[in-house]
Amino acid sequence: MINNYYIERTAQAVFTVFAVVTMTFGMIRLMPGGPVSYIRSQLVQQQGNQVDMEQVNALVEVYTNVAPDEPLYIQYIDYMAALLQGDLGVSMFYNDPVTEILASAAPWTVFVMSISLVLTFGLGITLGAVMAYIEGSRFDVSTTLVSIFLNSIPYYVMAIILVYVLGYQFNWFPTGGRISSDVATGMNLAFLQSAFYHAALPIASLVITGFGIQALAMRGNSIRVLGEDYIRVARLRGLPPHDIALRYVGRNAILPMYTGMMIAIGFMFGGSVILEEIFAYPGIGYYMFRGIMARDYPLMMGAFLIITIAVVVGIYVADLTYGKLDPRAGSGGGNREAY
Amino acid sequence: MSIEETVPDGGTITGDEASADTPFGTVSSGTMSRRDRYKMLANEWVIAPFKILWDDWRARVGTLIILAYVLMGTVGVRLVDPPRVGEGDRLVSPFEDMSHPLGTDNMGNDIFAQIVHATPPMLEMIVAGAVFTTVMAVVVGTLSGYKGGWTDQLLMTFNDILMTIPGLPLVIVIAVILEPRSPWLVGVIITVNAWAGLARAIRSQVLTLREESYVEASRLMGISTPQIVMKDIMPGLMPYILVNFVNSARSVIFASVGLYFLGILPFTELNWGVMMNLSYETGGALYTWETAHWLLAPMVTIVILSFGLILFSQGTDRVFNPRVRARHTSAADPEEGDEDMSGEVATHIRG
Amino acid sequence: MSKTDDTQTATTAGTGAGTDLSSIRVDDPIVEIRNASVTFDMERGESRVLDEVSLDIERDEILGIVGESGSGKSMFASALLDAIVNPGVLTGDVTYHPQGDAEVDVLGLSPEQLRELRWEEISMVFQGAQSSFNPTITIRAHFEETIEAHNYNMEQAMAHARELLSDLYMDPDRVLDSYPHELSGGMQQRTLIALSLVLEPNVLVMDEPTAALDLLMQRSILSLLEDLQEKYDLSIVFITHDLPLVAGLADRLAVMYAFEFVEIGPASDLIGNPTHPYTRALLKAVPNLDTPLSEMRPIDGMAPDPVDVPQGCSYHPRCPLADETCRAEDPTYHDVTSDHQSACFHWEDSAEAIPLSTDGEHGETQAFAGEQSDEPVVSLEDVDVHFDQVSDGGLLSVFQEPDTVHAVDDISLDVYENDVVTLVGESGCGKTTLGKAVIGAQRPTDGTVAYRGQDIWEAKDSRRETDIPYEHIRRSLQMIHQDPGSSLNPNRKVAASLKAPLKRWEPDMDPDDRQERILSLLEYVGMSPPGDYAQRYPHQLSGGEKQRVALIRALLMNPDVILADEAVSALDVSLRVEVMDLMLELQDLFDTSYVFISHNLSNARYFSGKAGGRIGVMYLGELVEIGPAEQIINDPQHPYTKVLRWSTADLDIEETVEDPPLRGIDIPDPVDPPSGCRFHTRCPEAREACTRAQPTLDGHDDGTEHRTACFREYDESHEYWESEPIVDDADDADVAVGGSDSDARTDE
Repeated sequence: MINNYYIERTAQAVFTVFAVVTMTFGMIRLMPGGPVSYIRSQLVQQQGNQVDMEQVNALVEVYTNVAPDEPLYIQYIDYMAALLQGDLGVSMFYNDPVTEILASAAPWTVFVMSISLVLTFGLGITLGAVMAYIEGSRFDVSTTLVSIFLNSIPYYVMAIILVYVLGYQFNWFPTGGRISSDVATGMNLAFLQSAFYHAALPIASLVITGFGIQALAMRGNSIRVLGEDYIRVARLRGLPPHDIALRYVGRNAILPMYTGMMIAIGFMFGGSVILEEIFAYPGIGYYMFRGIMARDYPLMMGAFLIITIAVVVGIYVADLTYGKLDPRAGSGGGNREAY
Repeated sequence: MSIEETVPDGGTITGDEASADTPFGTVSSGTMSRRDRYKMLANEWVIAPFKILWDDWRARVGTLIILAYVLMGTVGVRLVDPPRVGEGDRLVSPFEDMSHPLGTDNMGNDIFAQIVHATPPMLEMIVAGAVFTTVMAVVVGTLSGYKGGWTDQLLMTFNDILMTIPGLPLVIVIAVILEPRSPWLVGVIITVNAWAGLARAIRSQVLTLREESYVEASRLMGISTPQIVMKDIMPGLMPYILVNFVNSARSVIFASVGLYFLGILPFTELNWGVMMNLSYETGGALYTWETAHWLLAPMVTIVILSFGLILFSQGTDRVFNPRVRARHTSAADPEEGDEDMSGEVATHIRG
Repeated sequence: MSKTDDTQTATTAGTGAGTDLSSIRVDDPIVEIRNASVTFDMERGESRVLDEVSLDIERDEILGIVGESGSGKSMFASALLDAIVNPGVLTGDVTYHPQGDAEVDVLGLSPEQLRELRWEEISMVFQGAQSSFNPTITIRAHFEETIEAHNYNMEQAMAHARELLSDLYMDPDRVLDSYPHELSGGMQQRTLIALSLVLEPNVLVMDEPTAALDLLMQRSILSLLEDLQEKYDLSIVFITHDLPLVAGLADRLAVMYAFEFVEIGPASDLIGNPTHPYTRALLKAVPNLDTPLSEMRPIDGMAPDPVDVPQGCSYHPRCPLADETCRAEDPTYHDVTSDHQSACFHWEDSAEAIPLSTDGEHGETQAFAGEQSDEPVVSLEDVDVHFDQVSDGGLLSVFQEPDTVHAVDDISLDVYENDVVTLVGESGCGKTTLGKAVIGAQRPTDGTVAYRGQDIWEAKDSRRETDIPYEHIRRSLQMIHQDPGSSLNPNRKVAASLKAPLKRWEPDMDPDDRQERILSLLEYVGMSPPGDYAQRYPHQLSGGEKQRVALIRALLMNPDVILADEAVSALDVSLRVEVMDLMLELQDLFDTSYVFISHNLSNARYFSGKAGGRIGVMYLGELVEIGPAEQIINDPQHPYTKVLRWSTADLDIEETVEDPPLRGIDIPDPVDPPSGCRFHTRCPEAREACTRAQPTLDGHDDGTEHRTACFREYDESHEYWESEPIVDDADDADVAVGGSDSDARTDE
């Protein structure tokens, strides 16, 4: 049973990545005004009308790993083969291998997003549990209202406000970059400080606008669990209150939160395009945006692929931990709506 | 309600298959007038749901906010002149000059007029996106759940992949390729894979509902599958669908404004996101408080609408709850309140 | 909490209720309850769900408390542990006597003292075992955290836990390592009992501990309970709605009605000589195996609402003996004997007014047997139904080897006009699946199902005209479901639910006629005023009313056969007879046949017996015995039928709960059923031959309708008689018993 669960999740993750890769291939290939015509028009600008089609095709192959004059299936195999070797083509805008650019950017995005995720859920779960325990109190009612309100602010609006007020106006926080230029890379305190300092606003905009809805979800779950028979039995058995709060209420109320977590992973990583642009934070989203603006197809599609893979991996990991936490996972009796 | 008046008086008994002294052959003696019938329908479908909505403060506030935006997008555009370059001084502060209540931007355009005139395409986008999401999710979810077998497996495999791909980057890629201009198309593109999660959820709800005894009973009575889906399955899903309809409306706003703000969608029409983009990108605007109102006005507009939608969705699931409905439709049933209460006691007793 | 004591006692003294406490006193009480009340404040007034109750629990006795749902019996259970759920308020006195003269005022304890009292001294078992466990931690963790919370020696206490689990016929290691959902319902309930006894309490309060289980499992647990009680010197309070179940187990019985005890006494006295009209009515209303069918009567009227309990004796609106005194005054306890009390002014006259047995009047039995046809309406031939266990529609489910459950294996059965066939068996035995196959709601994997000679599934699949069109067949075979809660669409009013079949089959019918017909039907089944009921949503109906609506809906189709799947099991005992009578009465009117499914032999006997029908006994997908109702009940042949017969408690209090005539309590996994005769793993008569060959219903033909699939029915030349009896290795027994199913709850 359990083994099937893991095998199935793994196969699903692999298959999803495969499907997305195929899709990106299709999009690059079929894009109207895609890389071929783009490169040709670039060459036309440089060389006048005498454009050698072979030259164009050679250039396209350099950049995108796809030779336009080969049959479709050869193109597909070439593309896949290149990908498997970690080759995402060459950025037309930066003229560097896409893999290199994204490899340097990815850790920063993962850094910001995972901290945001942990804070959002940590805050939401704690707050929601407290609200459930004192259901109906003034604190509960006002927190509910605040949570709804914060949830109606788009994260990028919050980001703009934060960067406008705290960054540009008050100069309390940097308005761009990942670390200060005068800090040496490495695991030293100054580096970490600088990294957190630069990531603070992006993280804040995600957390402030995101924890409210999680708190409300946790509140609802906890209230439901508090009404379960096993809570009553546990109290009669004389278990200490903190045991009941953690092992009984907490654990059972958190499990359904996984659905929200899966959605949040995709939402946050996907949102990196807007967020990193606002904060001029060179992560994957930032480069994807650069790629779009410069019609740099290899960079754009490479970034899209990496973001998707990051999300697939994130969901996969969440899925596996869920399997560890809920013994019913895989036997069909789980709490979690297949997300 | 006029049913009370037509309580059986024995009626005429027809010698059907059942014997004459059973009530199985009864026919009616009185007739319910057409007007009564319409009145009953109106009560059931219009008045009662509205009353239920009005009963809940969240739904009330939410409805008012949404109504205000709809009015702004329909009537508002006729009352407020479209913004023109140089119609006022540049960067007039809000609430200073009543001909420009929210001030002007750096080209002298009236900001209030911009917001009002950006509303209709926004509403179109929201409707297109929300309708697309809901229809796709309901069709795929019900089909998959009710049919089962290969249909289910195929649809869900596809669905799961779609669901995992992060929405915004995918939308961006498609938007770059297609460069959509029509708000309706933008709405659909933005929700291109947003329906997948909802479809999954609906499928699993359908799977549960399908096993309900009353669905099996309907099936055994020879009632057709579309009828069963419409009458037995859908009503159970409605609260869920409605809440998600509203939620997807909200995510259309978030995503479209975000994309306009980034400049990924072509600037063909006025949009709150375009306003944000212009105020944000205009050189030096971020270094001064002078432009704050220009930046804030569209953002506040978005937040209020989004707030209204959330409140509305929180209040709406009650509309479809038979327990709440019963209280509102049948004035002839004074003990109704008691039913719920005794149910409550019963749970206390058993608990 | 006991602040209000004085005022409470004062008022009771005034009305005279519950003051005469001397009469209910016992010699050596372990718990004394005095004037205990539980109230809830509600918008429409104060709801009193336990009303001035006083009772003693004797040391080392088993006290049975019997009452219908909503009579306040669960409140009483919670009151013993001062565990009333908010916002309920408990007043009165509960005194616990640990040993000798020591007294503990339970309601006056500090939270810490109360925490120690619970589970260490007084422990409790709840009805829903599944919902009593935390689903995310193992059974072992449940035991360990309990032991830890009370600072017991972990090693000793865990050894005790293992012993308890073994005592309850389970494999300790396997159970301890499992998660709650991995155990079957019966194992969960037994584990919960072990958990409640792990701290060696003196008093065990059990609130409907077996209600969700099969009769056989209920009885098995009861017999284990008796052993436990002796072994560990327990005082047990056993609360149930099922009077026959507890009659043989309990030393004393207390009957609850409308939130107070109306009669208390030794079990034998109370059953043999009940004096309160309610007790008498209850005894007559409960289907059992002994009472002649003609003497079973439903109790008229409804139990009172907790907010609005009638003045005087709360039973007077339903009581045939009620007079002015009863309406004005609340009766005190009257001594029937020194230890048998009855809260009735007319206790001396009740025996005459409500006779339990109408000797010599058996002739007036209202039999409903109609004229049965020679040709079967529905005929099943060699029907198999196998299920592949379902997947979640994910990517890989295509590649998984599905587990096949043999829900129905090779069964042939004919149903005639005006026939009643009752299928009995434990849950998971395939009786519902077989029933659905009969009405064409379940496609058989193999074999044929024919309606008046026309193969149903051929009619459905065939594009050509068949002799009888599928539409007609579909209309002729209907069903009433088990759970009243889900048998009606919660979003549609009663009228709309009833109109649906008419709209489908008589589309030309005038809407007013439709309305009228529905209203008169509602009136006919006793739902009056019908106009009001028609406009209700299902949640505004009681369980019995919902089943009536479902019955009407099925009958509106004018069907030939109705499958009634446990149609009365979810109803209160006193209602069951009433609804079954209504069903039989309507059968008489409509010439319908019933396939009635029940896990309860008493109901089966009542329903089939009254209509002169048959009972079929199923075990693990096979029909093991079938025959006329009274023959199956009074002269069961198959060892399994005998076990079911044993499991059906009757009102004979002389009979103690014996050990089950079974070698294992739990049912084998239906995915991998035993070879040969499927019952051989549990059968007390099993011999070596049974493991190899499978007996059949027609293996021996003595020309009667009563057939049995057992080698013991075969003539003496059969190898069974020569082969060796199967003897379980004593050490293996526990494992064999415990090592059964987690999937046994598949189809029903």
